[in-house]
Amino acid sequence: MTETALTSEATPSGPGTPGPVAARGRRQSPLLRLRGDLDGRTRLILGAAGVATLLVGWEVAARALAGDSILLPTIGQTLTALRELARSGELWGDLGASLRRVGIGYAVSLGLGIVIGVAMGSLASAEAWLEPVFGMVRYIPASALTPLFLLWLGIDESPKLALIVVGTVFYNILMVADVARAVPTPLINASYTLGAGRFTVLRRVILPHSWPGIIDVARINLAAAWLMLVVAELLAADQGLAFRIVRAQRFRQVDRMFALLLVFGLIGVASDLALRALKSWTSPWARA
Amino acid sequence: MGPGMSAGAAGVPAPKLRCVGVTKQFPGRRRQPGTVALDGIDLEVAENELVCIVGASGCGKSTLLNIVGGLEEATAGTVEVDGAPVVGPGPDRGMVFQAYSLYPWKTVAENIRFGLECAGIPRGLRAERVQELLGIVGLTEFADTLPRDLSGGMRQRVAIARALAPEPDMLLLDEPFGALDAQTKQVLQDFLLTVWQRTGATILMVTHDVDEAVYLSSRVYVFSSRPGRVAEEIEVPFGAQRGPLVRRDPRFLDLRDEIQDHLRTNVR
Repeated sequence: MTETALTSEATPSGPGTPGPVAARGRRQSPLLRLRGDLDGRTRLILGAAGVATLLVGWEVAARALAGDSILLPTIGQTLTALRELARSGELWGDLGASLRRVGIGYAVSLGLGIVIGVAMGSLASAEAWLEPVFGMVRYIPASALTPLFLLWLGIDESPKLALIVVGTVFYNILMVADVARAVPTPLINASYTLGAGRFTVLRRVILPHSWPGIIDVARINLAAAWLMLVVAELLAADQGLAFRIVRAQRFRQVDRMFALLLVFGLIGVASDLALRALKSWTSPWARA
Repeated sequence: MGPGMSAGAAGVPAPKLRCVGVTKQFPGRRRQPGTVALDGIDLEVAENELVCIVGASGCGKSTLLNIVGGLEEATAGTVEVDGAPVVGPGPDRGMVFQAYSLYPWKTVAENIRFGLECAGIPRGLRAERVQELLGIVGLTEFADTLPRDLSGGMRQRVAIARALAPEPDMLLLDEPFGALDAQTKQVLQDFLLTVWQRTGATILMVTHDVDEAVYLSSRVYVFSSRPGRVAEEIEVPFGAQRGPLVRRDPRFLDLRDEIQDHLRTNVR
């Protein structure tokens, strides 16, 4: 075996050498290459195929289960229910109430998260002081605090906002702290040796370097804010998207319930795209 | 008459930088004594001198540079610049690091301008000074480029320009060419010599590249490892004019071998 290999290697294979030459290495399909790159068109096709799979699966299951009482509405029934909700005006009132709660609650949470998180990521003393506390409090499920907040704050808007803040603020703080910690030390040291004071370094070096990371944190934890909103509205509310789902359940209006779930999904996609756009607009240098 | 003036003996000018018995011990864990990174470093750099520190990794040479820059504190000993003790960082001592020290969201010109802003250069003078510094480092065409679109050598030239912006009287260079390929490195070494001659700055540079140290400096401090000590202080006999020929001078090769022997015996 070795001998043949040696002889065949020694013979120069000029043009006209007969017989196929074995290829070296194993060809990999671009679709299944680990850490491979895809061209934009393939990426788009795959994404569309994923959404289509979900929709087709939904429609097939709905038609299969169709009986005298609807447990799973078809896509058409869901869209009709959505149109109905929009026309009666209920949808806009609920959407406004829910967006307002998440907007205010999450803004407060994000503000606290940025201030405390950047402090923890930049000052070893702040980190040593706060890390153990937040590390523990973070593990108390915020939803378990709902009864307590209702007791303390009544049943108006404040317990709902408090729940959204508490349910997201610790994630925001700890993740922003990680982002601030990732500012390279030479960057900070170079600023000091140029004559920058600590406040200047914080405002003009640590903050701009952390900004794209902070937007990513905001984008990821926004889902938790909606989760807390639903918990709050399920228990006590007279308006809101989650409240409307509970109402629909009482009248067995499954098509309405699905329409409202669809609204949640659309809001998620829209906010995700908006925050991604904000990131690449404000921090073009961080684009991959 | 400041205290710095009286420090020098009659006729001998006081050194620009003087380190006496500088010792650095890092805090230990669990009652273990901490690592001694530097043990009683005595070192002087004269005005306008270019001095290199060479040593294997772990000899504390970067720690010493950080102490001179005011970024770290010595456990014992004193560091004086012009006779005044160093207690923190300041624009009188510009520093250049091996990498990751440019602001990635700022263009080349904005990076340099930031150095001018921090140093409190009046707004009206900044634009002209930025242009001048861009010219010195030969990056005028790249004024509006982001660091991510520059080569490693260009990035280090920007870092040097930015460090020069506040017109420091000392430059502290921490392996500034350590991450560059051999060709770029030689170009930047000659560039550094030009900058040194043009600005008349006092330069203290840390490197692990013996050739680089001999090629650039008038004196080389050889550090031993764990703890870092001054193992040898070597005079380099070449004058201010350096060029490719110096690298082939037999004295250059002898010095290089001598320093390399020192490093080998001091590394365990």
